[in-house]
Amino acid sequence: MNAIDIAHLTKRYGAQLAVDDLSLDVSAGSVCGLLGPNGAGKSTTFKCLLALAQPTSGTIAVDGAAVTPKTFEYLAYVPELSALYENFTVGQHLEVTRRSFRTFDPARAAELAATFKLDSKKRIGKLSKGQRTAVALVLAFAIRPRVLVLDEPASGLDPIFQRAVLDLIIDAAAGGAAVLFSSHQIGQVERAADSIAVLRGGRLVLRGDIDTLKGDEKVVEAIFSSDAPSVNGLASDARVRRVERNGRILRLHVRSDADGVAREIQALDPRTVDVLDLTLEDIFLGAVSDDAVSGGA
Amino acid sequence: MSALFTVDPRSGVPLYLQLIEQVKRAVALGTMAPGEQLPTVKALALDLTINPNTVARAYRELERDRVIETSPGRGSFVRTDGAPTEARRAGTDVAEGVLDAAVREARALGIDAAVVTTLFERALARWFPPEERDST
Repeated sequence: MNAIDIAHLTKRYGAQLAVDDLSLDVSAGSVCGLLGPNGAGKSTTFKCLLALAQPTSGTIAVDGAAVTPKTFEYLAYVPELSALYENFTVGQHLEVTRRSFRTFDPARAAELAATFKLDSKKRIGKLSKGQRTAVALVLAFAIRPRVLVLDEPASGLDPIFQRAVLDLIIDAAAGGAAVLFSSHQIGQVERAADSIAVLRGGRLVLRGDIDTLKGDEKVVEAIFSSDAPSVNGLASDARVRRVERNGRILRLHVRSDADGVAREIQALDPRTVDVLDLTLEDIFLGAVSDDAVSGGA
Repeated sequence: MSALFTVDPRSGVPLYLQLIEQVKRAVALGTMAPGEQLPTVKALALDLTINPNTVARAYRELERDRVIETSPGRGSFVRTDGAPTEARRAGTDVAEGVLDAAVREARALGIDAAVVTTLFERALARWFPPEERDST
């Protein structure tokens, strides 16, 4: 049983298909970074997961059961733009949350508010965007949630507070919580997350453990003395994502067995063959690029 | 502890492999002595700001490689039965890989074997002075 289990989720808004047959699970103690360009379906996925929107089809389970009011005793959600009690002070807002959540830990809330240097007497309506994000994070983490859903949790925060958010995610995961968070900042994802899910046009185009992806996804680059040979056989090979030929240079983006592919290229007598590592950003951009080959995720 | 290990999350090299290499290096060099306790998974994850499962994966591999041992409830320790030897053996693998890449690169540049040998001898003389070599 996974902490978060999304199976064949589809969400249509009229003629528009926002999420298309998405299956995604996150287990307790692990952190999944949800990546994708704007409009890829990340926020819609969160809304369906949180029962804020009704899926067109598919099922959602948290801790093995459908989302009910009881789920929110241990599930925390930080939306990209939080709806807060504008006319209350930070302290009053914490008080509202304490009264609403049995699991709210006031000592933890005070500690978190201090981490983000929040002034408890300041009115919510007067806070900056980053301070509002910090309030939403304090409220979320103060219930010591087992499941965390965070939509761009570090947006508007300075680098020091962004690092504090990563620490909170890491601390929660080390304590056994499951975390699903979206971010446009790949640097945050490659630190805090152990796996990624990449959405494009509502579809899951890449899913995997980050270290495994970095170990498997490579570029095999060969330079020939004259025009690079066409390697039609390799273009349809399951190990190869795509082939680029540019004059004397041949580049193969591979999803596995880079050394084996490199040996096969070596047999074509190039001047040099190299196996190049890809950063997570390269892997992400490859997955959402227009010429990305589908499948294999 | 962060002085002992550094990792680069932006690199294309998997983080757990970077961490394994760092720990093995510290053990081989003696910066971490046999019997010494390693940080907990959570402490090291927070210290390096990386995912705890990544640290746990590195520790599991280090246990399998007989460099560290973990006893439930007590923590992880550098093994007292030959951890530096195991770590140095891993160091030999790393060195072989680096040398292999260098020789491959030299060949790709059209340098012939005799010249590669001369270059190797020159590097050897620079880093292993003859007066040191007798004692090793």
